[in-house]
Amino acid sequence: MAWRRALLIATLLILAVVIELTVLAPLPWWGATPPLVLVVVAGVALSFGPITGAVAGFAGGLLLDLAPPALTTVGIAALILTVLGYGLGRIFDSDERPLWLTTVVTALAAGISVLATAALGGLLGDVRVRWDDVPGFLAAVIVYAAFLSLPCVPGIRALSRRVVPEAFPR
Amino acid sequence: MRELRKARLVLALLILTSITLIVVDLRGGVGGPLQPLRTVTTAVFGPLERGAAAVISPVQSFVQAVANWGDQQATIDELTVQNEQLRAQVDTADVDRDRVAALDALLGLAADTSVDIVPAEVIAVGPAQGFAWTVTLDAGSGDGVSEGMAVLNGGGLVGRVVSVGPDTATVLLIVDATSTVGGRLAGSAQIGIVSGTGRQDLMTMQLLDPLAPVQSGDVVVTFGSQSGRPYPPGIPVGVVESVSGTPGQLTRVANLTPYADVSMMSIVGIVVNPPRTDPRPVITAPPLAEGS
Repeated sequence: MAWRRALLIATLLILAVVIELTVLAPLPWWGATPPLVLVVVAGVALSFGPITGAVAGFAGGLLLDLAPPALTTVGIAALILTVLGYGLGRIFDSDERPLWLTTVVTALAAGISVLATAALGGLLGDVRVRWDDVPGFLAAVIVYAAFLSLPCVPGIRALSRRVVPEAFPR
Repeated sequence: MRELRKARLVLALLILTSITLIVVDLRGGVGGPLQPLRTVTTAVFGPLERGAAAVISPVQSFVQAVANWGDQQATIDELTVQNEQLRAQVDTADVDRDRVAALDALLGLAADTSVDIVPAEVIAVGPAQGFAWTVTLDAGSGDGVSEGMAVLNGGGLVGRVVSVGPDTATVLLIVDATSTVGGRLAGSAQIGIVSGTGRQDLMTMQLLDPLAPVQSGDVVVTFGSQSGRPYPPGIPVGVVESVSGTPGQLTRVANLTPYADVSMMSIVGIVVNPPRTDPRPVITAPPLAEGS
């Protein structure tokens, strides 16, 4: 059932956006804010494959672009997460993946998202982008994404199997 | 193979949509064609963020208290020293206050500096890796908040409201790299432009007068704007840390530390009613003495 898959992903993404902005971002984390939305997109992409991954990435990115207090250009996070969702779903389309592998690719995707945000912002003339902050963001986001993916990616896969069993024939 | 072709098509379509959004938003900006989209998202996510913040607020206070444990001893030492200095100042303050009161009465320039403030709580913060310094407050148009209002906390100026939802408001903090505030040195009344740098503990002030006397420790307050939007006059902004003359430029740059600690904010005030303008009394010359 397509609508059950859509409902599951929409619920996960809205929860992730609200938690990232109201719970995680106000706390004094070292370096950067844990990228929960990206990890959820990665979990969805690694469960359902490239099409659903790309759509979930677009939706999650658009919510991050629009939900208050976002003031940056609309479409940047959507573009980045679309490509990352597609890529994660594409490279690993087998159903059983070892935990270390999903953790490494999620962390890698998080690193790419930081670089891409800075690069796109710089290209579009955003005066806020400071390249001397990027290495700190990069290190912190990679570490946080790796830790978040340990429970989130297997959790999302288990949830997907229960809610949308027909997407997992084996 | 067919599945893969479909996936590529979806990817291409979504990338195209994202780039269209970026271009449209860059051309339009706030109030542009994407404004309805922002308005709807704000209306939906505002209540969600308020709800989540209400649940999570006690936990956050606890975590922040634990995170600050080491700093607190240093704060106590610092406050003890400050207390001594302030006590010494208080002893001489009475004389100064009498003089000031007398001068005030003489000039008839007792300006009304009271402002009306709506208290609000910070309920959401933009992710640090997004480079922007913005926060969401739990007061919106229903509480009388509108765009362009100044936001303060106990320390001083925090930022200004840039967009308002039914029950939330988004604030651009003064440390954001796109934020500029008209500033005035409290001692010498020299004016300049205070810009954010994207760092929470550093702002720069471009002094318009290259020969202006300025030194570290000088206090910077807001210059004030027409009818108090966005910034009413006289709100403390920061204190000068160092001054650097940029060779080849006609202005000097002072580095400021903002008074408001934007990383540790919970309750702030939104200025809904700025002070009325100075009464501007008529000055009349005294009558000339007879025979002179």
